[in-house]
Amino acid sequence: MRTLLICLFAFWGGTSIAQNKQLLYGMDEVPQHLLLNPGGKVSQKVHIGIPLLSQLHVNAGASGIAAYDIFQENAGDINDRIRTAIFDMEAEDFFTATEQLHLLDFGWRARNEIYFSGGVYQELDIISYFPRDLAILAWEGNRDYIGYPFDLGELNVSGEMMTVYHFGANKALTDALTVGVRAKLYSSMIQFSSTDNQGTFVTEVSEDGDNIYRHRLIDADVSLQTAGFASLQELDGANAVTSELLGRSLFGGNIGVGFDIGATYDIGRNWTVSGSILDAGVTFYGKDVETYQVNGSYDLSGIELIFPPLGEGEETIPYYSNLEDDIEERVGLDTITNGYTRLRPLKVNAAVEYRFGLPVGSGAACDCKNLNGAIDTNQAIGGQLYTIFRPKGPQLAATAFYYRKLWQFLSAKATYTIDPYSFSNIGLGVVADIGSFNMYLAADNLLWYNNLAKAKSVSLQLGLNIKIGEDD
Amino acid sequence: MKFITIPHIAAVAVLLMCISCVKDTDFDQAEDITLTPVVELDLIYFDLIAEDFIDPETELPTLTLRDTTELRFLDDSFSRESIRRADFYFEFTNSIPREFEVDFTFLRGSNNESTYQTATTVIAGTPQNPQQTIFEETVEGETIDDLTRASKVVVSVTIPSADASLEGSLNLQSKTTYYLEL
Repeated sequence: MRTLLICLFAFWGGTSIAQNKQLLYGMDEVPQHLLLNPGGKVSQKVHIGIPLLSQLHVNAGASGIAAYDIFQENAGDINDRIRTAIFDMEAEDFFTATEQLHLLDFGWRARNEIYFSGGVYQELDIISYFPRDLAILAWEGNRDYIGYPFDLGELNVSGEMMTVYHFGANKALTDALTVGVRAKLYSSMIQFSSTDNQGTFVTEVSEDGDNIYRHRLIDADVSLQTAGFASLQELDGANAVTSELLGRSLFGGNIGVGFDIGATYDIGRNWTVSGSILDAGVTFYGKDVETYQVNGSYDLSGIELIFPPLGEGEETIPYYSNLEDDIEERVGLDTITNGYTRLRPLKVNAAVEYRFGLPVGSGAACDCKNLNGAIDTNQAIGGQLYTIFRPKGPQLAATAFYYRKLWQFLSAKATYTIDPYSFSNIGLGVVADIGSFNMYLAADNLLWYNNLAKAKSVSLQLGLNIKIGEDD
Repeated sequence: MKFITIPHIAAVAVLLMCISCVKDTDFDQAEDITLTPVVELDLIYFDLIAEDFIDPETELPTLTLRDTTELRFLDDSFSRESIRRADFYFEFTNSIPREFEVDFTFLRGSNNESTYQTATTVIAGTPQNPQQTIFEETVEGETIDDLTRASKVVVSVTIPSADASLEGSLNLQSKTTYYLEL
């Protein structure tokens, strides 16, 4: 329990919502922006990501709490602060950790003007809502909560580690409209989820019952689905586990399919709108599946002694074993090995951009042929919306951004993002094209970088590509 | 996964530390985190009638009734490590016109060795006017180890004298308040 709490609080950092890459979205200079919108504009002819370095994205966060709230110095007993935090947080608060690492990334423009791109990335995504009632029960016990129904439904956690193989196509259908689609194959290494739980636990004073209290488990329906864990328990040592997981990343585990779609549309010379839907997909879990389930109701009032008349050496009634058997029968733990399917967490992006300032790049040359076409300028402002569909409903974030091309080789984008949990998330991303090398670094929650412990989330993306432009 | 996840996350963490800092925090405090829940749990209950103290075959009084139940949770490793104090609360309601001696002996499972024992006297009542006796016992300090070595309790109820004309009942309800430290 203590370890669990420490782990939860360790996920400091999360007012930015998991997997929101607001800095990278729409940044044409970074080839990986196609993974955020397969219908984004593509300026290069070929790109090759440096293996393992083309994109690394990490994000850890918690709504409602920062590491500083718990671990600040010289502020009395840490246990008092944890207690305050438990009571201050809501059951809708959550802890997240996500990580994405691109193993392989490439793209090229074919003769038919379609830009094909593909690659492999590995992803880890964990979200746990805060089970407030259970945390109170664990922290305080039931003594001061006689009659209070503890809600087991607040238990809501899921996580997955997978490798994603993807291949997409992108084409400018007209001067104004670019569309794209990307197919994805998911190779799941480990997955667990406990999301649709319900039931209550209450200790109530028994007015006319047999004993002082009645401990009641009412309509409990709690389950934990796992895929890929059961067989790991049989393996011996870290090396065996590592090689097993690596095998699964090559389709040795559970498989899923999905797709991304997106489009970009220029309105006149200065306006552009774009949108994308990512990870519309499903994973089928059939291998190495175990679901643990507790289902039912039970009233416990202690053990009744009936003082049976016994002869010499005769054993009394096995009250305790009978009680255990009865509980086992009524609300026992079932292990089910039936397969299941789960939807991937769907993400939706939408953006509008207004460009101004000095014309740059090839846009100026095209102006004479295409007087109403969009032009590239050195500055832009705009807004973006991001939604990810999570077990307890969609999480929404809105971003305002300012883009500036500082020099021909260096662009920057600044963002201000709000979501239901934070109004102070400022981010900055920088992209440099030096020769054929394309480098970028983006981080948000910059206001907190003077003291990261006070930030409720940390999100970072960085990468390195080889990019060959149209003119090279 | 060895070459993918952990080192890279660590590298980024280091990078983050280079361009930012974590101030005024002391993560060693994690060692001081202690959960101290207080758990109320029903223990045993019974309802004896005066007739129970008369042997139905011989019609002679049986002055001491005894029953045993296992309490296997008491001596499991979780309880042994985390129970710091236990408050027993026994509530007797007696409508038999006799005083009772009630003894609770906690036994170690393997050889029935007694590890902890407590007893009380229940005052006499009448069928018209039942009397309540509340007995509370706190176990803490070194004696808590004696309690959490046990996995059974033997309850003995002794009546000083009995005959067939005796009426009424002796009821027990009980609970324990466990103070845990995790």
